[in-house]
Amino acid sequence: MNCQLCQEKLDAYLEGTLPSDMKTQVDSHLNGCETCKHFYNILFFAGRVIDSEKKLEPDPFLVTRVMAKIENKETSVSENLFIKILRPVLITSSLAAAILFGVMLGNLSLPENNIRAIPAELAMINDASLESIDNLSQE
Amino acid sequence: MTDIEIIQLILQGEKEKYRLLMEKYQPLVFRTCLGFVHNKNDADDLTQEVFIQAYQSLSSFKGKAAFSTWLYRIAVNASLNRMRKSKKKSILQYFKSIHGTEKEIQDQLIYETPENPEEILISKEHSDWLRVALDSLPENQRTAIVLSKYDDLPQKKIAEIMGISEGAVEALLQRAKKNLREKLSVGSKK
Repeated sequence: MNCQLCQEKLDAYLEGTLPSDMKTQVDSHLNGCETCKHFYNILFFAGRVIDSEKKLEPDPFLVTRVMAKIENKETSVSENLFIKILRPVLITSSLAAAILFGVMLGNLSLPENNIRAIPAELAMINDASLESIDNLSQE
Repeated sequence: MTDIEIIQLILQGEKEKYRLLMEKYQPLVFRTCLGFVHNKNDADDLTQEVFIQAYQSLSSFKGKAAFSTWLYRIAVNASLNRMRKSKKKSILQYFKSIHGTEKEIQDQLIYETPENPEEILISKEHSDWLRVALDSLPENQRTAIVLSKYDDLPQKKIAEIMGISEGAVEALLQRAKKNLREKLSVGSKK
């Protein structure tokens, strides 16, 4: 067995899944090859570190937290939609109300109407039958 | 109920059913994320992020691959994105400043051999040094190692998740182990 083949088989060797004859060959090679033995040590060590990490448990409340976040996101999306539709309507209504209010305010500030009611005596005069004042001034 | 049936119900409005998927796949996603970040708190945060992202993208799941495959892809991508964004000082730099030079740490590591595996005590410094070596691998090699060693997935499944051939997965794993050996090895020529 050469070093390349031995190193390719080390994973299976560490997992104990090599056929017995292959395992024997790897054992024999490792006993006589410092380079491969060193590689084996590194893989063994790495395996132990990884195994220790794999024992960690995930957060037991994660599912609850994710569901809460999903709920919050959906609520805020609905609210945003409502605001997106309502806002232009509110702005338009406010502008219209402001304009109307301004017009009403303007009307209120106009001076009182100066056209007085015509006195009853004058109302009976027929202007069409009166002599022109120019004729009177020439006398 | 199958995953597809649960997903259909969720998309029809029964979002509470998403709990079933999370309870089933939480360990899977957590382990995958842990393989990248090596820290329980960060892995929990990432797992949460993955499930929220998966929920938001649920309508794009077509069912052509298994739901687990789809979820693994989201977990791997989220983990790689987190690693890219991470601005933390590397553990290597931290240990260089506290425990001596890189060569000194390597020398300590190399000569502790598992003569009696049951009694080996792995010091925190040594395990962190190994994590640094794992983290320094190229992304595709690292992904292959995480899916193989943390998730115990067969090469066929890894190939499906990564979108490459089984032969390519085998090559990635071999290169990853070779790189790992080179990064950890100083006295191999002795």
